[in-house]
Amino acid sequence: MEFRLPEISQDSENTILTLWHVTEGEKVAEGEDIAEVVTDKATFDVPAPRDGILTKIIKREGEKIVSGEVLGIIE
Amino acid sequence: MKIYDLGMTEYEDVLKLQSELLVKRIKGEIQDLLIVTEHKPVITHGRIAEESSIIDKSFLKKNGISVVSTGRGGKITYHAPGQLVIYPIIDLKLKKRDISFYIDVLEKVAVSVLNRIEVPAERFFEKRGIWVENRKIGFIGIAVKKWVTYHGMAVNVNNDITPFGCIDPCGEKNIKVMSVKDYLGHEVEISKVKDIFVEEFAKVMKEEYCSGVTV
Repeated sequence: MEFRLPEISQDSENTILTLWHVTEGEKVAEGEDIAEVVTDKATFDVPAPRDGILTKIIKREGEKIVSGEVLGIIE
Repeated sequence: MKIYDLGMTEYEDVLKLQSELLVKRIKGEIQDLLIVTEHKPVITHGRIAEESSIIDKSFLKKNGISVVSTGRGGKITYHAPGQLVIYPIIDLKLKKRDISFYIDVLEKVAVSVLNRIEVPAERFFEKRGIWVENRKIGFIGIAVKKWVTYHGMAVNVNNDITPFGCIDPCGEKNIKVMSVKDYLGHEVEISKVKDIFVEEFAKVMKEEYCSGVTV
């Protein structure tokens, strides 16, 4: 299942993925913070949408992202 | 809304308190609240601060000003006695899930407070923060976990703004900084500003979020 950045702001043009809290192959639980994104003045912890294993990281730390983009795959 | 008026504090003590209150708010064990404080002198780094934003380390060392890295958004700023700092711990799930809207609300609160004490503060969408005559007087850096906010906003009231010269505030080169004291030419009673802040925070939050209606 693709895991996308949720809609966090009307103005998300300058959002950067700053940190993955988990690595590929790790188990994640629904609601667990698994990545951190940063906008101009805010940090936001992105929760896992479901239980599973983070099988693939699509967006790397330091990359720009916008709401709706795929961050990774959870199986 | 419960108010935690902490008076003068060490930055790291309040950071710890925020973390504890954040967890409780996420669990629903407490209601929304507002921390109000003044910090002893400290420089704080947000998550995207750059080391090069400190341009005079010797001044900081000479004056015993420590540098603390935090999990908030934004870059680098300075806190000191006489600067009013607010940290709202608010569940945005019960209001509106939109971070930029929330930052707009914080800016509107600060502008209202400053206008009430005869300081013609303004806000601009293209450059965050609170401004008076093109000088920055209010600074924002927040964090959001499970849609609960922490960290917040600082407004220069009576503090000496000289130490801002040791950094590029908010990571911006050649930015000029202002305080209420410098604009008005005299100090103001900080407890009065604090009371106005609490009043305006409640008022603006109610207006902007339609009294807690879930969106």
